[in-house]
Amino acid sequence: MEKMNDKLQNIAKKLLENKEVNLIIGFTKGSNPLRMRSVFITEPNDVSKLSFNAHCVQDLAVFLKKPEVKKFGKIGIVVKGCDEKAVNTLIQEYQLSRDNIKIIGVECRGVVKQNLADKGEDAVKQSTVYDKCLVCEVHTPLLYDELVESDEPAFEINGDIKPYAKIEELDAMSVEDRNMFWQKEFEKCIKCYACRQACPLCYCTRCIVEKNTPQWIETNIEETGNAQWNMIRAYHLSGRCIGCGECERACPVNIPLMLVNEKMARDVFEKFGYKSGIDINAKPVFGTFDANDFNEFIK
Amino acid sequence: MENNIVEDVQNAQGDKEYPAGGAKGEDKDKEPRIIAFVCNWCTYNGADLAGTSRMKYAENVRVIKLPCTGRIDPLFVVEAFKKGAKGVLVSGCHPGDCHYTSGNYHSRRKYTAFRDLLSYLGVDINRVEFSWISASEGNKWVSVINEFTNKIKSLPGSSDIFSKK
Repeated sequence: MEKMNDKLQNIAKKLLENKEVNLIIGFTKGSNPLRMRSVFITEPNDVSKLSFNAHCVQDLAVFLKKPEVKKFGKIGIVVKGCDEKAVNTLIQEYQLSRDNIKIIGVECRGVVKQNLADKGEDAVKQSTVYDKCLVCEVHTPLLYDELVESDEPAFEINGDIKPYAKIEELDAMSVEDRNMFWQKEFEKCIKCYACRQACPLCYCTRCIVEKNTPQWIETNIEETGNAQWNMIRAYHLSGRCIGCGECERACPVNIPLMLVNEKMARDVFEKFGYKSGIDINAKPVFGTFDANDFNEFIK
Repeated sequence: MENNIVEDVQNAQGDKEYPAGGAKGEDKDKEPRIIAFVCNWCTYNGADLAGTSRMKYAENVRVIKLPCTGRIDPLFVVEAFKKGAKGVLVSGCHPGDCHYTSGNYHSRRKYTAFRDLLSYLGVDINRVEFSWISASEGNKWVSVINEFTNKIKSLPGSSDIFSKK
């Protein structure tokens, strides 16, 4: 880990000193040793704050959508493989210019679930990492300007792993049962919109829930409005969600939002063969079409 | 524009002859209401043709005209359900016929994903129907509406997460 941090700090220092970037967004140690928090560095002398380990859960790409960060112009960002896909999607959707961003990719071996880390868990194992890490195909970021290799071995995967197993379970249920399941989950929603705020791809300056002429989505907490909000959030992210899992982690009432996001990602891949955040030159899946698209449901 | 759509859905639901579903429980054998979002250039003219040709079809349907199927946001479908519609039809030009070249292709992609999402969240997918109906297909309009109405009537009175309990 020390070697990794040194390398990370050297890269950051070089970038800042050469004025290649005006701001570096990275991770630093939090007050709790097993929690990492974000840090914004503008001075080369401050790079010693930068650090990386298996508790760097947050997707820092979320900051790239903020005007107060955008005003720095050229930005360097420390990203794991999954977070880097968010950067790719932002570039794809013209929210970010490739020229204005220096991607400092870190090889990630998986991040430890925060609820376990809070109880003292420090080891990266099959049982302690997030579901997204079990299916991760991008331990090394796909696109980077600088790469920090990991000195940790990959964790072992034993037996039949079924990340997001609940999706198959839900698929096998009757419509009524699914309805019951989601109704119960969405009932908990308090409309804090933390899912939206934590999402690197929810960048609309005026979200659909804030539009009130007409009021599409009820703002008070009641069944119909809750369901509508959660459904539209998932719909707006289908084909775009890169599966960082920040929405679910941010949710104060633990709605399993990744079950919806992951399901949509699988469906989009099945129907259109598209995976989000892979190629910055690809057209977003709903920004294009094919004359031979899936047509079976239309009379 | 958007305000009009909400009003249209509201008005289509608030017909006195058939009180909207949901809240008023006393009217047990009321007819199910179906909202059809159609495109201006093909399906609306197809429906018009059915009318001027004096063809008869199920009276459960309320038509809301929009410029293109590409303009029919899935939010409209949700809105219709929320206001008590039992079924929603989305219909537009055949592939290749779009007045705006590609609106229907984009719409098809969107609705492929949206249908999956609806079903996954526990809405009976039989309650949403899609069709391509051209301006000359008055017959097809009639058959699509009749079939869809029958299908909706045969569905068990299931609730969904969008309608008020």
